[in-house]
Amino acid sequence: MAIPEEYKLKCDITIPERYMHHALTNRKEPNIPANNIKTIPGDMTERGCAFAGCRGVIGGPIGDCIQVVHSPAGCAWYQWGTRRNLSAIYSWAGPGVLCNDSHNRRHAISTDLQEKDVVFGGTEKLEKACLEAWRLVPGAGGILIFTTCTSGLIGDDCHAVARRVQKEIGKPVFVFDSPGFCGVSQSIGHHHFNIQFYEQITEYREKHPEACMNEEEKGPYDIAIVGDFNMDWDLAYIKPLFEKLGCRVVLVFTGGERLENLMKLPDVKLNVLHCQRSCTYISKLLVEGFEVPYVNVSLFGLEQTAEALRKVAAFFGSEDMKQKAEQIIEQELKVVSPAIDFYREKLSGKRVGIYVGGPRVWHWQKLMHELGMKVVFGMCTFAHDDDYEKINARAEDGVFLVDSPNEFEIEECLERFKPDLFLTGLKEKYLCRKFGVPTVNSHSYEKGPYACFRGMVNFARDIYQGVYAPVWKFVRDNDFI
Amino acid sequence: MTTSLKLNGRLTIEELNALPEIPIEGITYDQMYIEKEPICPEYQAPDQDIIPSSNRSFVMDPGRICMPFGALWAGVGVHKCIPFVQGAQGCTTYPRYTFSRIFREPVSIATASFHEETAVFGGRKNFIEGLRNLIIRYHPEVIAIVTVCSSEIIGDDMEGFLEEARDSLEEEFGPDIFDEVKFIIIHTPSFVGSHVEGYNRASAAFLKTLAKRSSPNNKVNIIPGMITPGDIREIKHILKLMDIEGTILFDISGTLDCPLRLPQSMPYYPKGGTRVEEIVDMGSSLATFALCHDAGEAGATYLEKRFKVPAIIGPMPLGIRYTDSFIKNLSEITGKPITDEIKDERGILIDAMADTFHYTMGVRVAIYGDPDIAAAASRFSCELGMVPVIVGSGTESKQFVKDVWETVHEYDFEPVILNGSDMFEWEEYIKKNKIDLILSNSKAANISKEANAPLVRIGFPIYDRVGYQRRAYVGYRGGEYLLDLIVNTLLDSKFPDDRIHQ
Repeated sequence: MAIPEEYKLKCDITIPERYMHHALTNRKEPNIPANNIKTIPGDMTERGCAFAGCRGVIGGPIGDCIQVVHSPAGCAWYQWGTRRNLSAIYSWAGPGVLCNDSHNRRHAISTDLQEKDVVFGGTEKLEKACLEAWRLVPGAGGILIFTTCTSGLIGDDCHAVARRVQKEIGKPVFVFDSPGFCGVSQSIGHHHFNIQFYEQITEYREKHPEACMNEEEKGPYDIAIVGDFNMDWDLAYIKPLFEKLGCRVVLVFTGGERLENLMKLPDVKLNVLHCQRSCTYISKLLVEGFEVPYVNVSLFGLEQTAEALRKVAAFFGSEDMKQKAEQIIEQELKVVSPAIDFYREKLSGKRVGIYVGGPRVWHWQKLMHELGMKVVFGMCTFAHDDDYEKINARAEDGVFLVDSPNEFEIEECLERFKPDLFLTGLKEKYLCRKFGVPTVNSHSYEKGPYACFRGMVNFARDIYQGVYAPVWKFVRDNDFI
Repeated sequence: MTTSLKLNGRLTIEELNALPEIPIEGITYDQMYIEKEPICPEYQAPDQDIIPSSNRSFVMDPGRICMPFGALWAGVGVHKCIPFVQGAQGCTTYPRYTFSRIFREPVSIATASFHEETAVFGGRKNFIEGLRNLIIRYHPEVIAIVTVCSSEIIGDDMEGFLEEARDSLEEEFGPDIFDEVKFIIIHTPSFVGSHVEGYNRASAAFLKTLAKRSSPNNKVNIIPGMITPGDIREIKHILKLMDIEGTILFDISGTLDCPLRLPQSMPYYPKGGTRVEEIVDMGSSLATFALCHDAGEAGATYLEKRFKVPAIIGPMPLGIRYTDSFIKNLSEITGKPITDEIKDERGILIDAMADTFHYTMGVRVAIYGDPDIAAAASRFSCELGMVPVIVGSGTESKQFVKDVWETVHEYDFEPVILNGSDMFEWEEYIKKNKIDLILSNSKAANISKEANAPLVRIGFPIYDRVGYQRRAYVGYRGGEYLLDLIVNTLLDSKFPDDRIHQ
C-alpha cells in the first residue's frame, strides 16, 4: 500500500524512488516497504558492505582463530576491536600472562596488499602470510581467511591456498569470500558466511570424523544458540537460562566460540535461533542437510524471553521441562520486576524511534511496550521481507517504517516525530544528538548486557539515563538558541 | 532496595544468575567475574625470526589506515564539502564510523554504493547518478571525489566520468550550477599508501583544482596535517598573537568539534571548515606552511612550483625547538615581530619544564604514531630529558627517519627506529625492554596494560578517552598540556606519594 501523502518525507521529493521504501505498519494487512534492493547512489546511505557483515558481524566473534584479512591494511584496521563482541578466550601476552583483551579483538592481521600484488596476484603472499601467522600466533584453533574488494577483483584463488595451508598446519583453514561490493548491504555478507561456513564444515567433518561429536557424547537435550554474538556478554544471561531449563548448550554460533565447537553445529538436537536475519540461512541448511530443527526465539525483553523458554520446552515435549520453564519465568520476573516497575513508571508515554540493522526493530517493539513507551518510527538498514512482516505483526498500527534510511531522512524523521529517545548506532547517534534527542547505542549497547530478564534491567536503566540526563534541558533554553 | 552485591568483588556468572533480586542499577559485564580461558593450554613463544615486520609477508596490528581515510579527513575539513566515495559502501561507512568514534561528531560522506554489476561494468552510472542526487538534495559547495581500491582496480576513468557528469548536470540545472558546486578528484588506491598519503594527495588535489594567483593577499597558508581540532585552534591563536592573517587548509576545528545548538536548517551542516574562496586565494599568499611533512607536503610544493608561493615544510610545531622554528619562520616570512605574549607563553612552558625535570629525566619512553607526530614526540621527549628507546611510525617515511636521526645527533641516545612497521613488532620491543612510558594512540592501550608501562595518548586515533580532540599538543601551550599529561601520568604510576609533597 502506498503511503499517505501527509507521511511523505520532503527530502525525497527529488528522488521519488525512495518512497517505495516507506510504509506504515498494519497488523491485519502487513505493509512491507521495498527492501534489500540496490542503494541509490549519492543518497547518503548508512549501509555498510558485505565484508562488514561477513567478517565484522559473524566471523569476528569467533574466539580462537587467526583471522587473516586478504586486503590492504585498511580493511583489517577498521574491524580491529570495533564491535564489542566479547569472548573469554585470551591469547598469551607472555609466559604466564594472558592478554588484556580477548583474542578476537586483540589483533588485526592483514596481508597488506601492495600495488605489485594487485598486478601480479596475491596468492603467494597470502600463503606465506598464513604460514607465518601460524608461527607468530601459536596455539590458535585454525585460520579464517576473509577476502575483500581488492582480493576479489584481482581474482585470487584463496581456496587453493587454504587447502595447502591446512595440509601444512593440520588445523582447519576456511575461506570466506565476501568482497565489499557484493550484494546491496551487510546482509549479503551474513549470507555468504553462513553458506560458506556450512559447506566448509560439512566437508571438513567428512574428512575428519574426529571433529564430530561421538554418539556417546551426545545428550538428549543438546542445543546450539545460533545467531548470538555475545555483545557485552549477553551470553552471561542467555546460557544459564537454558541450562536451568535442563538443556546443554553445546555451542554458540558464533559469539566467543572456539572453532572446534563450531564444528559440532550439526550434532545438536535443536538450534535456538536468535538473530533471524544473519543466521536463518545456516539454520535452514542444517535442517536440510542434517535434519537439525530450529526454533525462532527472541531473547530480549520479559515476555519474549519467557516465550523462548516455553518454545524450547515445548519442542522437547517433556512435562518436566515445561514445568521448569514456568518456574524459571515466575522466578525471573520476581527478580527483575521491582527494577522494571520503577523504570516503567518513569518512562511511560515516552516516544521512541528505533534505527538498527534489521531484526532488533522487531525484537524491541515489545520491550518498549513493557516499559510503557511508544514506538513512533522504525528504520532498518538491511532488513528483508520477513523482518518487516514481524515488525508489522508486533508493532502498533501506524508506525512509520523506513527501509535503508539515509542521513537526510533520519534528520527529517527526528524533526517530524520529535521522539524522546532514539535507539541507534554509533554513526547516527551524534547526528541525532545535534537535534537534541538522546540516544542509546543499539549495536554494541551502552552498559550491557541487555539480553533476557536480567539484562532488561540494564537496558531500561540506559534508556532512563538517556531520557533523564539533565543536558537535554539546557539544549532547549530559548534564550540561547 | 536491598542489594546482595559483593562489595569490591565481582560476581561469577553462576552467582549473578542466582541473585534473588537485580538491583535497580542493573549488573553490567564489568561487575562480572569471567574466567579467562587461554587460547591454548601452554604459553608458546611467537617465532622470533618473523617478529620484525620486514621479515613477514603480512602486517599484524597495522599502524596505518587506508588512503581514502586521509582524503576524507581533508574533505571533511572544508566548509559545506561532502566527500563522495567512488567505491563500495564499506569504504564510506568504516571511515564515518572511525571519525565518529574519535571526534564524537556526525560526519557526512556520500557513496556511489558499488554493487556486483558495478564491479563488472564500471562505476560510471553510479557516479553520475550519485553526484546528481547529492547535489539536488544536499546542495554542497564542494564535492571531493575520492577513489578507492575497487574503483582504481576496475579502472574507472574519473576525469572522463566527471566530464560526462558535468554535461548532464548542465543540461538539468543550467551552467550556473558550476558556480555553486566545485568538484575535486582525489585518487587514493589503498594498496599504494596509507591515510597520511591520502591527506597529502588531497592537499595537492584541492589546490590544483581551486587555487588561483591574483594580487598578493599578505596571508600565510597553513596545511596542518592530521592533527586535532584543538591543535588547529592553537595555530590560529599563535597567528592572532602575531597579528598574521592565515588560511588553514582543512580546518577541522569547525567541522569535527561543533557545539550542540539546535540546527537552524536542514540538512545539518557544521558551521566551520575552510571556505572555497579561501582556498582559491591560497595561490596569492606569502608562503605555505605544511606542518607535517608527509601530510601536506604535496600541496605546499604544488603552490611553490605553480605560483611561486614559498613552501616551508615541517617540522610539526610540537615542543620547544620545533615550535621555535615555526614561529621564527612565521616572523621572517611576514616581517612581523615575535610578540611579547608569544615569548611569555614560551616562558611558561619552559617554567613548567624547569619545575618537572626531576620527574622526566632519564625516563625511558616508547613512541609510535604517524611519522610526523612520532618524530615530533621523540624530539619533545628529548627536550624533557626523557630517552626514546623505540620510535616507530606506522607509515613508511624517509623524512621521519631523517628527523629522528637529527634529534639523535643532538641528544645522543640510541633508539630503535621502526619505519613503516606494525604495532606488533613495536609491542615485542616494549615487552623485551625496560620501558617507563608509552607515547602513542589508543591502539596501544592493551600493550600499555600488558607491558605495565603507562600510556600517554597522542596522535591519531584516540577514541577510548574523551576530550583529546579538543586539546592542543602543538605550540607552546600544547607543549604545556602534553608535559602536564606526561608528568601526571608518571606520578600516577611510579611515584611514592610522599615524594611529591615538597
